[in-house]
Amino acid sequence: MLEFLWLVPLLPLLGFLLLVLLPLTKRAAAIVGVGSVGAAALLTLLIVVELFGLSSDAQVFRQIYWTWMQAENFTAQFAFYLDPLAAVMMAIITGVGFLIHLYSVGYMDEDPGFARFFAYMNLFIAAMLVLVLGDNLVVLYLGWEGVGLCSYLLIGFWYDSHANGYAARKAFVVTRVGDALMALGMFLLFLHLDTLDIQQLMANANDQWQTGSSLPTIAAALLLGGALGKSAQIPLQTWLPDAMAGPTPISALIHAATMVTAGVYLIARTHELFLLAPDIMFLVALIGATTLFISGFTALVQTDIKRILAFSTISQLGYMFLALGVGAWSAAIFHLMTHAFFKALLFLAAGAVILCVHHEQDIFKMGGLRKRLPVSFWSFMIGGLALVAVPLTSGYYSKHEILFAAAGNENSGQLLWLLGVLGAVMTGLYTFRLIFTVFFGEENTRVHESTVGLVVKLPLVVLCLLSIVGGWFVLPLDHVFPASEEQAISGITSLVTDVAPFVGIFIAYLVFHQNKALADAVVAHTPGRLLQRFWFSGWGFDWLYQKILVNPFMLFVRINKNDIVDSFYRLAAWLMRLIHRLFGLTQTGRMQWYVGSIALGVVLIVGAGIFS
Amino acid sequence: MTAEQLQALLPIIMMASTSVIVMLVVAFIPRHSVISSVTVLGFILTFASLSWTGEVGQGLQVTPLIVVDRFALFYSALLLLASLVITLLSFNYFTKGSGSENQVEPGEFYILLTTATLGAMVLVSSNHFASLFVGMELLGISLYVLVAYLSHYRQGRQGSLEAGLKYLVLSGVASAILLFGIALLYAEFGVLGFGQLGALWSNIGALNGIYAMAGLGLLLAGICFKLSLIPFHMWTPDVYEGAPVMATAYIATISKGAVFVLFLRFFMVSGAFMQEMANNLLILIAIASMLGGNLLALMQSNVSRILAYSSIAHMGYLLVVLLVANTGNVPVSTISESVGFYLVAYIITTLGAFGVMAVRSNMLDTRDTDQVADYKGLFWHSPWLASVLTGMLLSLAGMPLTAGFIAKFYIITMGVEGLKWLLVSTLIIGSAIGLYYYIRIIIVMFMRHDEEPITGKRDRAVSTIDGLVLAALAGVLIWLGVYPGPMIGVIQAAFPG
Repeated sequence: MLEFLWLVPLLPLLGFLLLVLLPLTKRAAAIVGVGSVGAAALLTLLIVVELFGLSSDAQVFRQIYWTWMQAENFTAQFAFYLDPLAAVMMAIITGVGFLIHLYSVGYMDEDPGFARFFAYMNLFIAAMLVLVLGDNLVVLYLGWEGVGLCSYLLIGFWYDSHANGYAARKAFVVTRVGDALMALGMFLLFLHLDTLDIQQLMANANDQWQTGSSLPTIAAALLLGGALGKSAQIPLQTWLPDAMAGPTPISALIHAATMVTAGVYLIARTHELFLLAPDIMFLVALIGATTLFISGFTALVQTDIKRILAFSTISQLGYMFLALGVGAWSAAIFHLMTHAFFKALLFLAAGAVILCVHHEQDIFKMGGLRKRLPVSFWSFMIGGLALVAVPLTSGYYSKHEILFAAAGNENSGQLLWLLGVLGAVMTGLYTFRLIFTVFFGEENTRVHESTVGLVVKLPLVVLCLLSIVGGWFVLPLDHVFPASEEQAISGITSLVTDVAPFVGIFIAYLVFHQNKALADAVVAHTPGRLLQRFWFSGWGFDWLYQKILVNPFMLFVRINKNDIVDSFYRLAAWLMRLIHRLFGLTQTGRMQWYVGSIALGVVLIVGAGIFS
Repeated sequence: MTAEQLQALLPIIMMASTSVIVMLVVAFIPRHSVISSVTVLGFILTFASLSWTGEVGQGLQVTPLIVVDRFALFYSALLLLASLVITLLSFNYFTKGSGSENQVEPGEFYILLTTATLGAMVLVSSNHFASLFVGMELLGISLYVLVAYLSHYRQGRQGSLEAGLKYLVLSGVASAILLFGIALLYAEFGVLGFGQLGALWSNIGALNGIYAMAGLGLLLAGICFKLSLIPFHMWTPDVYEGAPVMATAYIATISKGAVFVLFLRFFMVSGAFMQEMANNLLILIAIASMLGGNLLALMQSNVSRILAYSSIAHMGYLLVVLLVANTGNVPVSTISESVGFYLVAYIITTLGAFGVMAVRSNMLDTRDTDQVADYKGLFWHSPWLASVLTGMLLSLAGMPLTAGFIAKFYIITMGVEGLKWLLVSTLIIGSAIGLYYYIRIIIVMFMRHDEEPITGKRDRAVSTIDGLVLAALAGVLIWLGVYPGPMIGVIQAAFPG
């Protein structure tokens, strides 16, 4: 089956083309949209099974299709590279992607842009697959920009609202900052290592560069820039909460399960380069830990159900970056996978809730939905427990691997671990604040249940199962990443790590279920209120960027409203028109004048000839 | 004359015979479809006869007047194909008024097309001043009538007569100047053949003396008139506007193309381009034409006039290639290759643009459909016509993926290799100005129009022949833009012997 690898991205791409070019009925659009991704998922399953059936040394498969571009010593093949890492990513993308497509059939049922939605979704799946399968950085970049485009299109899917368009633009512009850095990184790598083929690049880097020298540090820093933008880490995290303007399945697929993990994938894919740059590795860990910590607090005070989940996503991505930074590569990918399961589940369950309460997203206007929406409730419960990392759920295994790896890191490991554990407490706190508020207590809203059909329930159930058993998968990534030595973890560390989520849940139970007045009392005091506002705004990052980036830029724009450079061109245009009018005067239509011009020309030519 | 020479002359003989046969057909079977078919057949057979000329090798001198070589054969082929396209597109232009009472069979139009093409073929095979003059006059005199042709049909078409008269008088003046120049050169050197002249000049080195200088200057002036280079350009817009659209297309493509090919041969064979005087003058003329042509076209409201002015600029661009020749940085074969490709691209593009105009025009109207306003919203009711015209205009502007891009790329490469920075920068500025008026027409075509076109004109369905011809032109345009290799190979083989 391996030789059919090319078909996996091609199927959704064909689906996209069909959806765009043919005026399909809604039913046909659903069949094409879901079917193409389903077929890709099935094919992926066969390919992955075959790949993992091979002996572990031979689990590498490369397919070269054509020479994409060539200029002097630069060659970019259009080629795919399949190894266990890419295979895991591929399975997540097509598997979770298929479930979310299926869910969307129900969720988007009444939307007039049904076919357009599936077209974008299919294009996204194709681009994401190109990203993870790319054999060189150029193909990877094609997929990278492709998913960025789809993200933009889907955040602004309901484009008639101004705010959605703004959110889409914000996401596009902010990630562009990272993309530009990444492109610079690619240029730098090519300049010094003469190739962009990832495997060759890593080999060359190991040969030519000393660990800790400046070139790998700069290159890794630039690539990290790209990863930070895509994966919404500090300081480029501000776009993700606003990206929730898109339809909820999009938030589940692109802004939780797949696209935002591209940064994690990029770093894991180029981990050999990062190993040459220990400073950047530490920076990755630090950024991850800070992000997870800060977004945990932000998630705690949000009121919009999707924004809570968005900040939670940023926070969980922070865990992945933390894992990458301490060299726990497979733990990062492991958490990436389990997170894809449970966060997709949470978003889809949130979508079901939102559908049933007439597109209300404020959790304080919900309440007591436990009995009315049992499927959503249990989905939320299982997804929430996995997110919080309660033992026996998938999140427990992956998150603990990360925290233990952090604890064992010789480079300020204790600090990183502490931030991670505090983050875990916060995770329990904000998750159960959400669950208690939405599903317990008295009923606040009218609910209509009819819209939740089988196509919505089935993906929820499957994702519930995956969120539980996902932790039992053993990812065969040993040959992709260097083995990390087993760390001796002290009993106390282990205990604290295990207990942390329960602490969060317990506090949430006290404050948001048992004694609701407590939370209000805290906020009633000035310091409490200020802190709440500060956290609510996402620690003021938007405000800060508005002040130091947007406002000065807008000021410059205002000063230069009548573009100074433009006026030069306007002058040129004006001059051209003037000359045109002057020249036009010669065109009198009178033959005498025309003959006169010929005569003048002859006199000039002959005169010049004779007197030269 | 040997049999070999006679065989080499076969295309010219075929073309001349076609004229005679068409004349007889017009006299005895005066039906439009028959006349047109015979003309088309004549062009096709003449085209086919180009491959029966036998092995001409490095060129076969037939009498001192005519040389048949690959260069001549290639351009004869190009001109014949262009004539064929014009004949095919003319048919519907003249048929559209059918059913109305003043329908007349436009037989003479076809006779004149064949004689004009005969003149053009003589021009591209000429390497002697006598055949140069004969060819030019044969072409010119046919064109005077073609330009004025509609005036004998309709009282309303005064523009056609006016254009014909202007062209007659001004072209007459130019012919006199040209002939006087030839006479002066003959007085000085005593020879009329380009080759003989070249041999003499290479012995002398730099020319001097009043006769030689004045003779060369007057010769240049005469040729510049035919190419409508500034300051000999003033007839162009008036004639383009007044002439029936297919006659305009003929002047723009075949007449100018043939004269430029002659110019190229004269330059290369006689070595006139080594003369500093000629070179400096031509630089001035090229710059004036590139800037002036584009500036004059800038705000025009008539598509024919825009194309007229743009042709001035395009001839200026072509001149750049000739001017690179004397730097010695570029081999002469490359010069010939660039000119060849540019002419091919320019002829296809211009035919396509005028073809769309012809398809939408009717000889019974008081004017052709040539106002920019006539094209408002064309895309929305005739998307194919609008797309073809868009392609042609983009090619004229030199946009990538069209033949015009490769052609212009050639010229700029030549200019850069020849280190003619002034000319290259003028060319680029000129092209930038040109983009404005080409795109203006395109924008107008894509504007939504909710009401009737301003002029109240409604398009008839495009006939099959017209559709096929336009599709073929558009196809070749893209083909040459995307994959120019084969055509470049053909042109490289067509080097003057």
